[in-house]
Amino acid sequence: MRSCLNDKFSRTPSRGIADLLIRGSARFGLLFILLVLWIVFSSLSPGFLSRFNLGSMFRSVAVDVVVGCAQMVVLATGGMNLSVGAIGVCAVMSVGYFLQVLNLPLPIAILATLGVGGLLGWLNGVAIAKTGVNSFVVTLASASLFSGGMLILTKGVPLNALPPALGSFGRMSFGPVPALALVTIAIGVVLHIAFFHTTLGRQILAAGANARAAEMSGIRVNRIVVVAHSLSGMLAAAAALMLTARLGAAMPSVAGDDWVLPSFLAPVIGGTALSGGEVSVVGAILGALLVATIRSGLLILQIGDFWLQLFLGVFLLAAIMFERYRATLMLRQQVRRL
Amino acid sequence: MNKMFEFAIRRQWSGILAVIIAGAIGLSIVTPAFLTSFNWFVMLRSVCVSILVAFSQMVMLGVGQMNLSVGALGGLAAIIVGGLMDAWGWPALPAIAFALMVGGVAGFINGWLTVRTGINGFIVTLATASAFAGINLGITKAVPFYNLPSNFLAFGNGKIGFFPILLVVPVIVTFFLAVFFSRSVEGRYLLAVGGNSTSAELSGISVSRAIVISHVISGLLAAAAGVLAVAQLGSAQPTIGADWLVISFAAPIIGGASLSGGSISIVGTVIAVLLVGLIQNAMVLLAVDPYWVTFLLGALILVAVWINRYRAVHLDVD
Amino acid sequence: MPLVLDRVEKSFPGVRALKGASLVLAAGEIHALMGENGAGKSTIIKIITGVHKPDAGKVSLDGKEISLSSPRTAISLGISAVHQERNLIPRFSIAENILLETLPVHRGLIDFRRANTEAHRHLQMVGLDIDPATEVRRLSVAQMQMVEIAKALSHDAKVLLLDEPTASITDAESETLFRLVRQMRDRGTAILFVSHKLEEVLSLCDRVTVLRDGETTLTSAPMKGMTRRTLIEAMIGRAERPIIPRASTPIKGLPKLEVRNVATKSGHRRISFSLRKGEILGLYGLVGAGRTELARALIGKEKVTSGVILVDGKVARPRSVADAIQRLRMGYVSEDRKHEGVILAHPIRSNIAITIWSRIANRFGFLTKKLEREIAEPLSRQLDIRSPSLEQIVGALSGGNQQKVSLAKWLAADVDILIVDEPTVGIDIKAKAIFHELLNALADKGLAILLISSDMPEMIALADRILVMHNFRIIDDLVNDKGYDTTSLAIMSAIHTVEQASEDQRTAMSQQWRPEP
Repeated sequence: MRSCLNDKFSRTPSRGIADLLIRGSARFGLLFILLVLWIVFSSLSPGFLSRFNLGSMFRSVAVDVVVGCAQMVVLATGGMNLSVGAIGVCAVMSVGYFLQVLNLPLPIAILATLGVGGLLGWLNGVAIAKTGVNSFVVTLASASLFSGGMLILTKGVPLNALPPALGSFGRMSFGPVPALALVTIAIGVVLHIAFFHTTLGRQILAAGANARAAEMSGIRVNRIVVVAHSLSGMLAAAAALMLTARLGAAMPSVAGDDWVLPSFLAPVIGGTALSGGEVSVVGAILGALLVATIRSGLLILQIGDFWLQLFLGVFLLAAIMFERYRATLMLRQQVRRL
Repeated sequence: MNKMFEFAIRRQWSGILAVIIAGAIGLSIVTPAFLTSFNWFVMLRSVCVSILVAFSQMVMLGVGQMNLSVGALGGLAAIIVGGLMDAWGWPALPAIAFALMVGGVAGFINGWLTVRTGINGFIVTLATASAFAGINLGITKAVPFYNLPSNFLAFGNGKIGFFPILLVVPVIVTFFLAVFFSRSVEGRYLLAVGGNSTSAELSGISVSRAIVISHVISGLLAAAAGVLAVAQLGSAQPTIGADWLVISFAAPIIGGASLSGGSISIVGTVIAVLLVGLIQNAMVLLAVDPYWVTFLLGALILVAVWINRYRAVHLDVD
Repeated sequence: MPLVLDRVEKSFPGVRALKGASLVLAAGEIHALMGENGAGKSTIIKIITGVHKPDAGKVSLDGKEISLSSPRTAISLGISAVHQERNLIPRFSIAENILLETLPVHRGLIDFRRANTEAHRHLQMVGLDIDPATEVRRLSVAQMQMVEIAKALSHDAKVLLLDEPTASITDAESETLFRLVRQMRDRGTAILFVSHKLEEVLSLCDRVTVLRDGETTLTSAPMKGMTRRTLIEAMIGRAERPIIPRASTPIKGLPKLEVRNVATKSGHRRISFSLRKGEILGLYGLVGAGRTELARALIGKEKVTSGVILVDGKVARPRSVADAIQRLRMGYVSEDRKHEGVILAHPIRSNIAITIWSRIANRFGFLTKKLEREIAEPLSRQLDIRSPSLEQIVGALSGGNQQKVSLAKWLAADVDILIVDEPTVGIDIKAKAIFHELLNALADKGLAILLISSDMPEMIALADRILVMHNFRIIDDLVNDKGYDTTSLAIMSAIHTVEQASEDQRTAMSQQWRPEP
């Protein structure tokens, strides 16, 4: 039983920051690390806190968080979605097609694109539920299927003549906060409420924690899997829309494989269990912020972007190891209390 | 004759083999270029790398784990062997040996991390993949190594009739893996751990050791694939390995491996690679959009898995 | 030379499994280890086989203190075991499984021919006549058990551990096993025989150690002169208390649930019975009789292939578990508490409200923790669930309290038909008593209860009628007169008669397996 202990209800008194880091909520620990890094980076290079840098960082984080959420909703069911990137590409090209070729009004194009994402996710979900095949294999296959299919249809040609409304929304900001970040926050709030305060969310978490017990308690697990994957597809499409807005053009070279690792990083660092049954929207946001902070900081300090990849990989491992260490300590404490 | 027929039907890969034969016949009718010596040489050479890549993942599936760093590891070995020969002037053999060693060490790191930290192998290899790719980029700065010694290039281009000399490597590896998994104690122990790790542990088999060993083998195979890729291309491209992940899973799965572990088919994996190679060749010959290969690969995986489940559930075969 | 456990302690998160257990196992003896579920037997076994290390206390072999750090160490020291769960590699052959630790090697490669020959020898000893090259996953449960026994015997170990070895095999196969075990004892092996079957233990074993709540209450007591009563007292702490039998009678009228001529995918044939409101219908049978599978078919988890199921007189075959729960108002307290009964990682209130989430949520699907607590609180009090708060995750509760949660969620759902599968296995005495009272009270209120239990006293005290199952069929339907001796005799003889008949049939067909004379 790894990270399933409800830290909020331990009764022993705290003893300082270290103890708080260990026994406090995982999100608090993340926030702490985040603040430390910000202080370090900004003291090493004042440009870190510039409006430009922060704006650019927040804009990319906005997309990353939604990508992470797309993965998170499937992780909640105990599965995974390797086709988030492929669905992203499909959505990017779809919105380009709807806007540039079909000349649909922006709101319709947006809804249609979300529909495309949802449909692709739905296909994943149905394939998994009906055939009983592992989500890893199904989404690995569908990733190839979707991206291959998309590239066949579009021949890989980017669409640059999109209506300016989308691009300007992407560049808009309210003070230091980009409009895209607000979209992300809105999505985050909805997801948080959905998971913790609605029947559907509870059922997803139950199915992820223990599918057998959930089914024997009357939850239609198959339906839950389909819904989760459809939602995942829609979120991937939403992220794709935000990315297109940011770039101002629909390019098939973005999203795709680039999204797979970050889609896991943010939620897992933030406390979403890989095995299912436990999610944290706040954690995913903090996780994405952490990764973006590190990326931005290293860039500003002019440590090559090439070495960034190495660092990210190492960091992911370190973050997870720390989380496990925390969980083990909590377990041991519980035993001593007997 | 009947016995042979029965044998073929029971084997999972017999269907794929039939498709390959049918496809080959069809292709040779449609386009005469298919049956040329050159075409066969090219086709066989391209499957050399894929076979090793597929084996690299197959070993992991055998022990019930997975290795997401196959591509990154292979790519790293590729630029190491290229870099040693180009930038440092090493002769071919020591460079190859060093690159293989790196592969083994990298695999050991994967295994050690998985076992020591208890973190899911999925996450561990996802992280190390990023790390290896980073090191790759850091060394090459995205610039390939071109200056390779002629004997190495000859190895990559050489042929006997239409058989590429490169093919020797996957053939030898196939033989060794076949013996390893069917007749060696170590290999059987790996499959035992994959089949039921609790039972294996209770029988005194070390699960940690099995995981580490399989990662080392996987790393070696991935590195070998990287070296072969350099030989095939004639230069060490930093992009080698970037698209290996899908085929590394697709081939063993289509060939009949079980995702839960303990059940792999060496013959099936090879045949699956041949199928993909044939499809790729067909795409080129028929001047079809190369994206079709990606699309078909996804479809193939789904069909293969569905068929496997159908057989297991309804026919109680296998 | 003996294997000695001296005041061994072992704790896991949330539970102290062993609080000071001692055991002296001498060479050349068959030593019984007994105790109720949850008393600590499996923990001791795991310590002896090197799976767990004790937190305190000493383990010594031949007078020297040893550290059993892994199963490999245990095996190398000459300790061999047949565990309760199947421990074979499914796709490997019988020969490979038996000789897994000692595969014969010729010039670096495994010599399968020698392996098959050796394995054949071991198979013959246990009376199993199957080609040793057969893949283990194609064997029946009983055959797999015999293969495991053959495997353990093949080690010619110093210490042999048998954990409920007769759970899935017939009487005749058990006799073969006992004969072999006695032979090994005579050759000097130390044998630890874990079983809850009193008759077996009394007839086979030389000494007995009893565990209760993590401590040893009887240590190495000689079996000669031992009585059932003494053993039971040692296991449960006092004389077998007669459970107060049910007084009331079921409500007359249309049966709540009627099953006619039902056959299932799992193998049931011609299952027919009826269950009235306010009635507790017992379903008794040995392991493998098909009781749980029948329950799962009724609740919609397994497929019903033919026959009619009527609820309140209307045809009602459950289409899925969710359907059975919502439309037919059925509930199922699962036998497998940890994997099916509760979600260990989630809190109590969530586990209790899970069956009615859609019902308590408002129009938009919103529900709050407060709503869940309102449902869970009264039930938690009624069932006496011991926990500091409803937010406590169920995994941290004791077995008995987990089981209460598992039951509470069906009370929350206000079901009309409740199937209870082995409800008091692995639960302490007090919790057991609460459960029995509860089941009685629920039946009195009008609930129709189907009780599956292997606990004879429990069955006889609670059930109004008892169905006896054997081999996926119902072989008897008795009215329970609450007299322990008469009713239990009736049940056991029904089973015995049928087993004898099929045994004779098998001997006549002289198939794979020949019982030893």
